[in-house]
Amino acid sequence: MEMELEEIRGTFKPELIPPECGGEIDDYEEALHVLMKFVGSMASALEQVSGRGANAIVYQAGKRMGHDAGKLMEKTDNLENAMQELSQILGKEFFFEMWKPSSQESFTIERSGETEVKLLFRDCVVRQTLRRTGLPQKGPLCYLLYGYMVGAVEEVMDIKGKLDIDHVGPNACLKTLTINWGGK
Amino acid sequence: MVKIEIDEDACVGCGSCVEDCPNDVYEMDEAKNKTRVVKEEDCMACLSCHEICPAQAMEHQDIHVAKRLYIDRKVSNAINKII
Ligand code: SF4
Ligand code: SF4
Repeated sequence: MEMELEEIRGTFKPELIPPECGGEIDDYEEALHVLMKFVGSMASALEQVSGRGANAIVYQAGKRMGHDAGKLMEKTDNLENAMQELSQILGKEFFFEMWKPSSQESFTIERSGETEVKLLFRDCVVRQTLRRTGLPQKGPLCYLLYGYMVGAVEEVMDIKGKLDIDHVGPNACLKTLTINWGGK
Repeated sequence: MVKIEIDEDACVGCGSCVEDCPNDVYEMDEAKNKTRVVKEEDCMACLSCHEICPAQAMEHQDIHVAKRLYIDRKVSNAINKII
């Protein structure tokens, strides 16, 4: 089958990218679909080859990204401020908010030197990628976001953190962020 | 706040939503053998109950609907023209 291809022609100088190659919104959509399939297949192949080790690899990758992102943020020892800064960095594609059951007074719970806060991820590109590829949630790709969150929080607050998944759904996922104030 | 409606005619009383919901939003009404909403205020609109319900008996109103950028708009538009 012959493919219809609209050729983009322009002048290209070093370091000067012609704006015409930015493409139309439909081109972005197509690229997004390809990328989602690609990333999804990669995550599932990684799991097939390295089993549970896949989670650790992806987690480390996410954590590194999180630490890098955290360097751009202002340091704080206030958890709520850190969450606000983080939500700005993660942007609307990873829209999350703090969540608590109605019986709980505040968003944070203190227990033996640790602070817990529940985070409800309403929008998530990882979730979309998994659903696009037909993969279950809670797999290695989800660890990318955990790593990212933990890395960023560790960087901003200079603490040690961990993130656990409480529940996943097609429209939102609940996670618990635990902060160990003992430092890194 | 989230508002949840249960279609009692559709609900087959399997109890899957009661089992699945992490926030105990549902409870079984043993007399009617139907689910009932008891803690609407704790619903976080994850919609995992929608996925598990075999009868598609629930509706969540006024919730944040997560983006689904993976939906193929060309296919959706074609389907919308038919349906
Ligand atoms: S959407 Fe989630 S929290 Fe709300 S009732 Fe369903 S399972 Fe429970
Ligand atoms: S999962 Fe659906 S059919 Fe089963 S009890 Fe709940 S509402 Fe009824």
